[in-house]
Amino acid sequence: MGPSGSGKTTLLRLISAQLRPESGKVFVNDIDIHALQTKELYQLRRSMGMLFQSGALFTNLSVFENVAFPLREHTQLPEEMIHDLVLMQLETVGLRGAHGLMPSELSGGMSRRVALARALVFNPQLMMYDEPFTGQDPITMGVLVKLIKHLNDILGLTSIIVSHDVAETASIADYIYVIAAGKIIGEGTPQQVLHNESPIVRQFIQGLPDGIVPFHYPAIHKYIQDLGLCSN
Amino acid sequence: MFKLIQLIENFGQKGLAFCERVGIAGIFLTRTALRRPRFLRFLPLLIEQLYFIGVLSLVIVVVSSLFIGMVLGLQGYNILQKFGTVAQLGQLVALSVVRELGPVITGLLFAGRAGSALTAEIGLMQATEQIASMEMMAVDPLWKIIAPRFWAGVISMPVLTAVFDAIAIFGGYLVGVEWLGIDAGQFWSNMQAAVDFRVDVINGLIKSVVFGCIVTWIAVYQGYYTVPTASGISRATTRTVVYSSLAILGLDFILTAFMVGGW
Repeated sequence: MGPSGSGKTTLLRLISAQLRPESGKVFVNDIDIHALQTKELYQLRRSMGMLFQSGALFTNLSVFENVAFPLREHTQLPEEMIHDLVLMQLETVGLRGAHGLMPSELSGGMSRRVALARALVFNPQLMMYDEPFTGQDPITMGVLVKLIKHLNDILGLTSIIVSHDVAETASIADYIYVIAAGKIIGEGTPQQVLHNESPIVRQFIQGLPDGIVPFHYPAIHKYIQDLGLCSN
Repeated sequence: MFKLIQLIENFGQKGLAFCERVGIAGIFLTRTALRRPRFLRFLPLLIEQLYFIGVLSLVIVVVSSLFIGMVLGLQGYNILQKFGTVAQLGQLVALSVVRELGPVITGLLFAGRAGSALTAEIGLMQATEQIASMEMMAVDPLWKIIAPRFWAGVISMPVLTAVFDAIAIFGGYLVGVEWLGIDAGQFWSNMQAAVDFRVDVINGLIKSVVFGCIVTWIAVYQGYYTVPTASGISRATTRTVVYSSLAILGLDFILTAFMVGGW
């Protein structure tokens, strides 16, 4: 967790090797992910899943085809089996009835649920969620929180959630890192983080508008100078 | 003095950045074009893109070529009439179209219609993280998205050029023969005598293949490396049309200079 612009999504993209670090190494399952060749990286990515903030569904494919996409690309399964697997996956996220819809016909929450079904279709070992709750209404948020927790538990996944929604994340996380300006500023179980004494962590957890993270973006000149009321 | 050094420094930086972009674009093209073929899985993707890039460009090519052929017939007739050689109109129309107008104008139309659409489509896929999600599903977007579009562009351009040539010559025929009364036998026989299949038609088609390659390369590259915002996609689309048009006109001169020995 961390305030906007703190580097949460960048960290997630480093872990999944979508970005290359300027220094340092990232190990996934004891493998230096940035040292891998493209073929080996793609092999490792088959055991990883990622839920993008926008859902990132293919807009020219239906809901069914979106979920079937990784199966068609990586397996030689017969069509009947793909059909059943996709419907089972959609049933898990409660959208079996929407299998014929196009992404443009889905709400934001439904798009993320379809994307979740697609990301989980290969039963990954590591699942990454990029701001899964952002911009969702309370009902959809509740559905997503329940789904993420439920699927994590029944599939025995390792999940990394990047979020700035404190209550929702704290309700399902086992361990939380709070980052700001690219650095870890607090960590612990949800209870430990919620009672952290650090001023910046407290400001973030309590949602205070001013504090270590200032309300005003630093200005070069004084306010009175910018208004032209003072020459020096 | 300091400003001069700064100017040279800026110039050098821009030169280095340009070289870097050319290098990235070259690697991008190599990785796209020289992939190990998985023909049976590639074919449906290619056919789909041939429809979007080639077939849907037919309307603008057919309409434009008809009018260009008709204008060429009209202008050619007026000039040839002054020398009493209107019978040479078929030759004039055919050689102009097959050697130059066909490949060049089809290339420019192709850049405006298909090239811009390709950049916008791929750019939007970047902006909506569809390409990133494909990479996360261990599917190479260069194989799945870029390669079918690239090869569809390379294949479509010569076919569209051939259609352009045929319709433009027909437009010249309509004006010269049907409207202005040139003898049809003279029109066709002079054309047949003047146009050499290997030297004129094949060279024109070679040009169109080169233009198809360069336009599609620019279009997919600009889309793939776009800044994933609305203004970024808009600028990338504009760059595709401008760079493609300049590349077509510049390469046309170079190719013509090489081919002119054969005429």
